Amino acid sequence: MRVYLEFAFKKFQNRLTYRLDFFMGIINTVITIIVFCLIYKALYGEADSIDGITFSMVATNFVISLGLSGAFDFDEMFLQNKLHDGSITNEFLKPVNFKLRMLSENIGDSIFKIIFNFVPALLFSIFFIDFCAPKSILSIILMIISVALGYLVLWMISFIVQTWCFWLFSVWGIVTIKNVFVNILSGTMLPIWFMPSILRKIVSYTPFESIYFTPVRIYLGEMTGKDIFYGMVVQIFWIAVLYLIGNLFWKNGVRKLVVQGG
Amino acid sequence: MGELRIALQSLKMSILAKLQYRADSFVATLAVFLREATGIIVIYLALMKFDCINEWNVDEMLFLFSLLFITYSIIVVLFADLRDFSCMIREGRFDRLMVRPRGLLFQLISNNADVIAACGHGMLGLVLFVVSAGRVGIHWDFLTVIYYITTVVGGVLIQGGMFIIFSSLSFYFVETNSIRDIFYWNMRRFAGYPISIYNKLIQVIMIYVVPFAFVNYFPAQYLLRKPDMEEYPEIYLYIAPVVGIVIYMAAYVFWRISVKNYKSTGN
Repeated sequence: MRVYLEFAFKKFQNRLTYRLDFFMGIINTVITIIVFCLIYKALYGEADSIDGITFSMVATNFVISLGLSGAFDFDEMFLQNKLHDGSITNEFLKPVNFKLRMLSENIGDSIFKIIFNFVPALLFSIFFIDFCAPKSILSIILMIISVALGYLVLWMISFIVQTWCFWLFSVWGIVTIKNVFVNILSGTMLPIWFMPSILRKIVSYTPFESIYFTPVRIYLGEMTGKDIFYGMVVQIFWIAVLYLIGNLFWKNGVRKLVVQGG
Repeated sequence: MGELRIALQSLKMSILAKLQYRADSFVATLAVFLREATGIIVIYLALMKFDCINEWNVDEMLFLFSLLFITYSIIVVLFADLRDFSCMIREGRFDRLMVRPRGLLFQLISNNADVIAACGHGMLGLVLFVVSAGRVGIHWDFLTVIYYITTVVGGVLIQGGMFIIFSSLSFYFVETNSIRDIFYWNMRRFAGYPISIYNKLIQVIMIYVVPFAFVNYFPAQYLLRKPDMEEYPEIYLYIAPVVGIVIYMAAYVFWRISVKNYKSTGN
């Protein structure tokens, strides 16, 4: 365990060296949030609420989900680069679990971006955007747990696609296409409330709803009591399913690699 | 005419290079297409619920977006090297151009085209144009066609001029990508939508600082005449194609002055 914490911490420290990058990150996140909030402000026009959803709920959804998605962006070419330059073979010689190492480095990276990127964007939003106040301390704590679970769902999806580098010349295209699906269906750019009803139904059977929308609903108090428990069980279910799928690809990929190496 | 031949030959080489890996290029083009379409799919779905944004309906929004993508697909054919210029300087590849018997800016523009981005953005722009152009009530006659063509050229010159200015900054500073990211890429995100939905500050930036408004908003207004045009001087509709020439000329002068400052990163 200590090794993996060390990996995460190293990545965190690494980030600290590039100060310009994190100013850019804040500006990026803030501008994205502003664009979407202003679009919805114009869409709402004079209306107070649409389908029972107020503008501040929409704004809160954007701040949380767009803000977090800025922090949750992994280096998805990592595995492919390791494979192409051959350094992946050295990784297997080390007494650490490669997948856990990848996960802990990504977590270190994301925690950095949450502190220096998401939090400033959040503070900005509280002053300038119509942001819903939290219902209670408990709802914040439950939301944070749910965010962590959502993070794992997102990571597992990303890992599955990354392992395809064992078979494809480049995963860049497929990673980009995957991100299109995540961006549209997870509710970061289009609040899930406003999706056409068929699409919303489909999305509820996919892992996408578990990434950002469950935490947002917990925060807004749209989910209470049993619903929160149920929502988290769904999140854990997706983590397990996606983990198994990813593992299947990973095992087969590694076997293929060994064969190639002779 | 020799120049044109070189430029076409170099474009052919860029395309052939990508055809080496056909399947991969195809997937990458599709990926660019879909990535860029994300913002449009999202607004399209939202407008199924809300009908219109500041009185712009879905088709008019698609038309507004199409200008942004069509101009950008031409940009990446011509200005790909200038887009990646700071990297070129850092790796010392710029020196190579200095020993060749052609103008520097000409070489930068004619060499290298980002074929995949051009196809991805271009296809998206065309799809949006074809879907929307018949339905937004534009009466296509000789004058509007001419206006449309000059406005696309103007849009290319505006953004090309911006790339030249950002590239010129590389002669003074080591790291210029972040300046470009703020002024070009972040501002471009505002440009897909009618600028009248933004507050005054953003509008001023979009019109006078990084004039994306002249790439798509005002040209679209000339053709569509939406009521939110009242907020702006009418003359902006007519000068849209000219703004590009002015910016490009200014960028060219700035480039000529800056390039004298060049000191190679090599020894």
